[in-house]
Amino acid sequence: MTAPVLLDALGASGPYRTERRHQVTGVDGSALAELSQVPRLYVVRTVAALRRAEPLPADARERALRSAAELFLGEVEGVTPAEHERRVSLATGVALPVVRAASRQLVRSARLAAESVAAARPAGSVADWRDRPGTGAVWARRGEVLAVHAPGNHPATHTEWIEALALGYRIAVRPSNREPFTPHRLVAVLRQAGFGPDQVVLLPSGHDVADELVRTADLSLVYGGDQAAERYGARADVLVRGPGRSKVLLADGRPLDHLDVLVDSVTGHGGTACVNATAVFVDGDAAELAGRLAERLDGIPVLEALDERAVLPVHPSRRAADLEAYLHGKLGDARLVTESALTVELPSGAAALRPAVMLLRTPQAAQARIELPFPCVWVAPWSPQDGTGPLRDTLTLTAITEDEDLVTRLVAEPSIRNVHVGDHATHLMAPGLPHDGHLAEFLMRSKTVMRTGAASL
Amino acid sequence: MHWNWHEAPGLDEEEFFSNAMSWHFSPETGSRFWLDRLESLGFDPVRDVRTHADLALFPNLANDLRDVPVEDLVPRGYGESADVIGAYDSGGTTGSPKRVVLQRDWMRHSLAWKSARMDDLGFPRGADANWLTVAPSGPHIFGRLMAELPAMRGGVAFTVDLDPRWVRRCLAEGRAEEADRYAEHVVDQVETVLASQRIGVLVATPPLLERMAERESLVETINTKVSVIMWGGAHMDPDTRHLLRHEVFPDVALRGQYGSTTILGGSMERPAGPGAESSKACVFDSFSPYTTFSVVDPHTREEVAEGERGQVVMHHVSKAMLLPNNLERDTATRVTAPAGSLGVSVADVAPVASFENATVIEGVY
Repeated sequence: MTAPVLLDALGASGPYRTERRHQVTGVDGSALAELSQVPRLYVVRTVAALRRAEPLPADARERALRSAAELFLGEVEGVTPAEHERRVSLATGVALPVVRAASRQLVRSARLAAESVAAARPAGSVADWRDRPGTGAVWARRGEVLAVHAPGNHPATHTEWIEALALGYRIAVRPSNREPFTPHRLVAVLRQAGFGPDQVVLLPSGHDVADELVRTADLSLVYGGDQAAERYGARADVLVRGPGRSKVLLADGRPLDHLDVLVDSVTGHGGTACVNATAVFVDGDAAELAGRLAERLDGIPVLEALDERAVLPVHPSRRAADLEAYLHGKLGDARLVTESALTVELPSGAAALRPAVMLLRTPQAAQARIELPFPCVWVAPWSPQDGTGPLRDTLTLTAITEDEDLVTRLVAEPSIRNVHVGDHATHLMAPGLPHDGHLAEFLMRSKTVMRTGAASL
Repeated sequence: MHWNWHEAPGLDEEEFFSNAMSWHFSPETGSRFWLDRLESLGFDPVRDVRTHADLALFPNLANDLRDVPVEDLVPRGYGESADVIGAYDSGGTTGSPKRVVLQRDWMRHSLAWKSARMDDLGFPRGADANWLTVAPSGPHIFGRLMAELPAMRGGVAFTVDLDPRWVRRCLAEGRAEEADRYAEHVVDQVETVLASQRIGVLVATPPLLERMAERESLVETINTKVSVIMWGGAHMDPDTRHLLRHEVFPDVALRGQYGSTTILGGSMERPAGPGAESSKACVFDSFSPYTTFSVVDPHTREEVAEGERGQVVMHHVSKAMLLPNNLERDTATRVTAPAGSLGVSVADVAPVASFENATVIEGVY
């Protein structure tokens, strides 16, 4: 047992320790850190300092990002990668092997950030006005300072905002009070790698101050549920990363052949991300599929998050019970296929929730939208006559079908953000490929630069 | 100090409460408000209230101030000599406002005390010390009390008015942008006065000071011209206070006051003794024996131990008014009061925690 760590804010003039602090607690109830909570005035002054700062040149940014990636793999401010991953696993309940994989993803994303954003640049625009002799479109920032309300569910979510650094944004990250370790480590290595303290800051704060960050920054990236979407969704300066409601469609007539990709979609990547499948639609015997899926999921061992073989996420014991009660309250006419209680108390004091499979009567059932932070999947019958309606509002849809017209309609559907055709799990992602659109689509715009002596007008 | 305001060294606690209870509960001198409630108290204040601790016997009747006619609040003992300046409202954050009357003798004595504390805290006096007071006037006692001080201390009073109820209403109705515009409108006026006038003392609320801090040229003007900023009317957390003192207004002394309409005034920040306290703690001493504090456990209502945090209870016991046992929506650390004072002093006053972010279940973030 290690003594709680003091985790400072990382401000524009260095680390900043406040009187007001938040206790970061592990899923087992252990105290992991005391996190400084910056006041409103500090946010305002820090964002002003970021806005005054000049970005590094593009090549220096790229070098610094690559260097930060390497530093992340070493000891950072006395914290080894193993200790860091242990803290993240305890704070989030995400299985240690999954956290370790997330570290590799973070490193890869930082290394490739410049290439990833280049992949998002419109073909007709150049990155720098000097790159083109004549008149044409140049890709430019829509603002200078990006605020990030970061999530705490999964460390790999931080891959996204790193890209904004490659574009020259100055970034203020408000970490989740639940898991501040990953963004803290990231900001620390970015600074060691050459981003000045006035380029990227970490501003942990209470909810009372959160709005201030959105108010003062030029653009904001906000992770949250339906509430955040309601609050900020209509604003042009805020990009909301809301619920995922990822889905799998089994429509090739052989649903039982795809249990592997289903299990992977439900539990892979920690089973607690927006890219985990929330619902499965079956053109065939949905009840049989649900039963077989529940059996397979039941075979996954229930272990402590720190176990080397762990797959499932764990929770504070009280929270696990609340989640299970909530699910029962929402069942309605759905049938819980998984047998016996979901909550399993663990020796550490944390609790796991066994994966839950629920069978719905119709594809239109409202329950299919309920996304909970553990492997929890709604199975519904679906037939071509039901069309794409039930498949809408989806971050990633894995579509297993040989019907090309259907795939065309799914790819065209505006509320489906990614389509994986065939046996590709919902959680698969790669640098350079859009996750919920390219972040750069929000951060950048093309502008015309007309130059004297231009080759063409 | 005696009951009838005469200054005298030392305080006889029993004598003070004996006189106070006789005054407020005798048919000839008590107010209708208290005489009407005497029966239902279940104890005899004149017999049973001998010390400050005995004030805990009283129920918290502050809610009755929402609808009682103000005439009922004036002790009959004043007779024809009652000199009521006016009726004043509490902020009304919960329900309709509580209403109190301000009498001239109370105002004179409490402000004389306050002014003496200002001398202790290094406030300037004389013609160089014009005041710019950004405070609510109208039904708010704070603005009325502040309006007296410049003349008492020899400066000219400049004021900028503000309407906190409108701001609260905007926020309650989800119109934060309108509240923002209003705040900017107030700060614009502050900037205009400071641009041309010699101002030694600036009185403002913490949220407005934070707004001012966002304007570089205004910050520079304040650092150059103003010698003391006196804040009050809202909370200031220790981290913000530290930033304002050391980074935003390093050339200005930052002094706080903390009070409530229901005790007819406020307390003043304790001057920092030589190395006596950590630079971040802000301690408030009350105008004992007339206004005093207790700090209690919000569940048991028992007083918390020295150094512990709890909810603030305020008491007012003077010739002008009796209102003991007001549970305020503030928390604070209990600190020993200065020698000879009743009750306790309070440090690091903060709002009672609200239930933000209560059990969000759905979603993965």
